[in-house]
Amino acid sequence: MIVWIQYLEAALATVRRDASIYLSYRLRFASQILAMVFTLTIFFYVSKLVRPDAVGHHGQYYQFVVVGIVTLAILEAALTISQLVRLELVAGNFERLVISPFGPVAGAMSMAAFPIGFAMLFAVIMLAVAAGVFGLPVHVGGIPLALVVAGLGGVTFAAIGLLFVSALIAYKSAMGATWVMAALGLIGGIYFPISLFPGWIRWAADVQPLTPAVDLLRHALVGTPSMQAKWVELLKLGGFAAVLMPVAGMTLWQAVKISRRRGTLMEY
Amino acid sequence: MSEALTLEPTETGAGRRFSNQAPDASGALVSFDDVTRYFGRGRSRRAVLRGLDLQVGAGTAVCISGGNGAGKTTLLRLATGILAPNAGRVIIDDIGTDERWRELHRRLGFLSAGDRGLYARLSVHGHLAFWAALAFLPRKERKRLVEEALVRFGLCDLAKRRADRLSLGQRQRLRLALTMLHRPKVLLLDEPRSSLDAEGLKILGSSVGEVLARGGAVLWCSPLGEEQPVSFERILLLADGKLSPA
Repeated sequence: MIVWIQYLEAALATVRRDASIYLSYRLRFASQILAMVFTLTIFFYVSKLVRPDAVGHHGQYYQFVVVGIVTLAILEAALTISQLVRLELVAGNFERLVISPFGPVAGAMSMAAFPIGFAMLFAVIMLAVAAGVFGLPVHVGGIPLALVVAGLGGVTFAAIGLLFVSALIAYKSAMGATWVMAALGLIGGIYFPISLFPGWIRWAADVQPLTPAVDLLRHALVGTPSMQAKWVELLKLGGFAAVLMPVAGMTLWQAVKISRRRGTLMEY
Repeated sequence: MSEALTLEPTETGAGRRFSNQAPDASGALVSFDDVTRYFGRGRSRRAVLRGLDLQVGAGTAVCISGGNGAGKTTLLRLATGILAPNAGRVIIDDIGTDERWRELHRRLGFLSAGDRGLYARLSVHGHLAFWAALAFLPRKERKRLVEEALVRFGLCDLAKRRADRLSLGQRQRLRLALTMLHRPKVLLLDEPRSSLDAEGLKILGSSVGEVLARGGAVLWCSPLGEEQPVSFERILLLADGKLSPA
């Protein structure tokens, strides 16, 4: 069998395993839906307090913030991979992954697929509920672009998550994930436009992948004016994906090598 | 205590030899060459294995015995590549443990000590199907091999049961089934008889026998004084980082 098909099948088996474990908790999905409805309701009323011309045309804050929240949820899912790997280490399951032909690097990468894929699916549900219940105007014509952005964003965010997995494997700690997410949420323009920032900090929006991802998704799905030309932002996001994923893979392999040498690969 | 099963002697396995070398060291499936492994740094650094040599030939089972903390698990982890030696080399079927990861692990079956390494909410069948994909078994053979493993390890009636609802002995049977599902050439077993009943020990003995019969090698680690359900070509004692005849 061709080797890449074996890797793909092993990755799909990992997704099936994670889905099966997720579905074994029957109330988890219902509880997430409930929390999502509360979030949508909170921001629906908050948007009524926001100055009408704060974002784009008259009264666009609600669509602005909803797309921001779903994008942040996908990033959050990616950054939890290090916690999932830690759980595997504690349960002794990571050892099985390490001693399989699939190996620790491909194994950790495939562990990112379910949480990120599920977060994307949940984003679709959230947008549908926001459209159906709160009248969020979703542009159907923008869905193809949104899918491309979601794909590139998913790869990029997964790479960031895998860098934290590398830190976890090498140093047994990936505590930075929480503040990195908070910082990206702040400088990525999730809850308010970057134009409100003082000029000296706006550069931060250009050196991380969340800003182009969320800006393109807003433009594609709810018609918010984009900050830069679409192709420039797509190029940026694609660049981040193309650079970060190989870097994350190599960093992860180096982390495994270092901890094999130190004898700490199975420690947690 | 269950009756010990005797394995048929093989060409290389006949007779007990009080040596760390396989009868034909050049054809060894498992080879430790002058392996040293330390843990810790600075003043707290201690050598767990010191210049250890060991060869295990095809069709041969070797038992490593030793007290708690003697380094048995370290020795097995070096053979899996989970640990890298500080000095020396570990070679499995002509592959160094720091090279060709995929090919190396196709040949290896490793059972860790204890009862960990299972997903609490995944079924017995789910575990085997997952491992079949991770072990890169050909798609056409997966279903058959999973069914065979369920039968061989007495897990048919438990196929749909979640791992957290298994007894310790049933968990151990599942862990053994996972270890041997992909028909490894080299079997590394760390305290494999843990929690097994007489029937379980019999299954363990016959499974080890199957690996040896197809020309594989078995490295079995167990605490001092434990009676084993298989007979070994050599029984070695690991103490002070060195192997000696038990």
